[in-house]
Amino acid sequence: MSANVDLRAKASGPSVVRYLDVVKRYGSFTALAGVSLDVHAGEVVCLIGPSGSGKSTLLRCTNGLETIDGGEIEFEGARLGRDERTLRAMRQRMGMVFQNFELFPHLTAEQNVAEGPRTVLRTGLAEAKRRAAAMLTKVGLADKAASYPSALSGGQQQRVAIARALAMEPDVMLFDEPTSALDPETIGEVLNVMKVLADEGMTMLVVTHEMSFARRVGDWVAVFDAGRIVEEGPPEQIFDRPATPRTRDFLSHLGWDA
Amino acid sequence: MTLDWSVVWQYRAALAEGTATTFLLTIATMAIALPCGIVVAGLRLYGAAPLRALATGYVELFRNLPLILVVYWAFYVLPILTGLGLSALATGLAALSLNVTAYNAETFRAGINSIRRGQVEAALALGMTRTQALRRIVLPQALRRVLPVLASTWVSLFKDTSLVSVIAVTELAYVSMQVRAQTFRVLEMLTAMAVIYWLLGYPQAKLVDWIQRRYAVSE
Repeated sequence: MSANVDLRAKASGPSVVRYLDVVKRYGSFTALAGVSLDVHAGEVVCLIGPSGSGKSTLLRCTNGLETIDGGEIEFEGARLGRDERTLRAMRQRMGMVFQNFELFPHLTAEQNVAEGPRTVLRTGLAEAKRRAAAMLTKVGLADKAASYPSALSGGQQQRVAIARALAMEPDVMLFDEPTSALDPETIGEVLNVMKVLADEGMTMLVVTHEMSFARRVGDWVAVFDAGRIVEEGPPEQIFDRPATPRTRDFLSHLGWDA
Repeated sequence: MTLDWSVVWQYRAALAEGTATTFLLTIATMAIALPCGIVVAGLRLYGAAPLRALATGYVELFRNLPLILVVYWAFYVLPILTGLGLSALATGLAALSLNVTAYNAETFRAGINSIRRGQVEAALALGMTRTQALRRIVLPQALRRVLPVLASTWVSLFKDTSLVSVIAVTELAYVSMQVRAQTFRVLEMLTAMAVIYWLLGYPQAKLVDWIQRRYAVSE
């Protein structure tokens, strides 16, 4: 453990999200069989592993979209709310980006980004618009403010979705396979935006199949299999010197040469 | 057989008044059945179990009864149940509203169900309450999707208002039948009635077609 901490440069910061032996079941299927993991302030933690191994489930439990059946999740030192009100207060500080973008199709890009500040934070219209403009500029889509999602490419939609989450000024960003539904040629623009966020020090939890992103941008990588973390460590260790056969198997299936 | 079309012109004032009542009934029924339909759909989707059962029972009852039966029922039974002496117009309005509310409730329910779960999750993830997610995200999309269906219901309703003529509501059908009975000009009056309904209904149907094109869902 102490060796790990040395390798984990940002681990000195406070834990933003902490999972303690988290269990999640769907009927007789155990999606998470006791997962423990720390995410520190400013860290980019990448969750990798085969489909159905529990990475997305863990992410969805983080902001309470799924309830857990055992263990604990702490967010900024407090137990994740079980009651709606506490949970909502916590969700406001966690941005989430979905695989299928889930932009609101009846709203323009600007309205999508302004919706959170308007409805949840109850900012004035001017403040919401100011935030929307700033966030759309940040993701490089200032010129698409008046466009509806249907008029945008997948990559552009996902960047608007990132802007929508950022407009709430979250303390942590949760990315649930943000590039899996994208055409190959638009994946890069989304990953670039995420890289900029990481460089700015945003705490990020990223479920991804983009191994080169995890390798290049991740500070810490957790490998999932069958509802458990089979290995975690800095990307150099995971990708260059995987310690477990399961990690080596998974990476070699993806054609990754350690 | 000699035809005398002058009766139509002669009774134009009464026919115009009947037509106005037909429109009034259509508009008033929809004005009641739209919000009530949303409420019933909401109860079926989100209500506590007894309310949900009640709403489901209501919808299944009125969706599966002939409208003319509901009209008669409202005329004979409603005054006994409520102790109110309702006018024929109010009774007809009540019967139509009970019927169309049931249909609208199903339309809204289908519309709300057609919005995928991820939309609500995205709203919740922003920190919205379930009510905010429904009001700001789900309903606006659902309404857009069901607009063509509601427009079709409107056109059906416009014609179905003729059924309340059986309880002597002086709408277009009733007035036409009255004139026919007084003048024995059966063919002329039925034809006149058909022409008026068609001329008024056709543009509405065209409007529905336009709405269906205009609000086609693009995602």
